[in-house]
Amino acid sequence: MFIINCPYCGERDQTEFSCGGEAHIERPKQPTELSDDQWAEYLFMRKNIKGIQFERWNHIHGCRKWFNVIRDTSNDKIHAVYKMGEKPPIKSL
Amino acid sequence: MLSFNSPINEEKKYNDLNIIEVEPIIKINLRSNKREFSTKIGKILSILPPNEANTSSGNEKFNLLWLSPDEWLIYSNDKEMSLDDQTNLEDKLFNEISKLNQGAVTNVSDHWVMINLNGNKVYDLLSKSCPYNFNDFKNKKGSVAQTIVNHINVILHHKQENNLNLFVRRSFSEDLWLWINDSARFI
Ligand SMILES: [Zn+2]
Repeated sequence: MFIINCPYCGERDQTEFSCGGEAHIERPKQPTELSDDQWAEYLFMRKNIKGIQFERWNHIHGCRKWFNVIRDTSNDKIHAVYKMGEKPPIKSL
Repeated sequence: MLSFNSPINEEKKYNDLNIIEVEPIIKINLRSNKREFSTKIGKILSILPPNEANTSSGNEKFNLLWLSPDEWLIYSNDKEMSLDDQTNLEDKLFNEISKLNQGAVTNVSDHWVMINLNGNKVYDLLSKSCPYNFNDFKNKKGSVAQTIVNHINVILHHKQENNLNLFVRRSFSEDLWLWINDSARFI
């Protein structure tokens, strides 16, 4: 269990949130021009890093807003929280 | 619509804790991110929707709870509010907001069940199965929190010291009511 600082509601227990996977994956501009492999890459392939990972989270049992979290997957330390559409406050560690 | 069927219809008293279902009352969900929305609500209800997270505004008649940066919940303090008055209020909001594309107005009177919890042991009870930190909530009148109690989504509204209203979805209300009564025996 750990605490996540929702950018709208403030600090809440992790059980109120749901993780939406890797953040900042851009949808290809011209999906029709992609090969099946490239499309599969966009749809399914995720980094699954051991260490600092950029993720999307949803405060599903609170304000129900999406936001981004920079989390160390090896120890659940949260390095930054920022709203959807905002630039990550740190590039990478 | 507005049949106000409830699976609870009960009041229970324990040491330092009273719980009662407060129904029927009108509840309306508001969603908007438009600029004129606030003034429109102000004109209709004579209260402004709070912008600050986890807070509420209100007068003798209505409460307006912050749920999200673009979502609020109105509920009435008056169980005796006539059906005509309720319909009028809903129509007025709908015509001023939904119809003019200023946001969405949804009557959720039958969606939520309101339970009033009152007594010194209120927070002891909730803390038995709620991850929320009540330290600030306890001391700030009008605080609002959306969280989970016994794995069930709830909205909590601080009315007075040790007196809060809990909103639970109708289909979960009986389950939560049983859990509350079960847990209240051990505090
Ligand atoms: Zn939140």
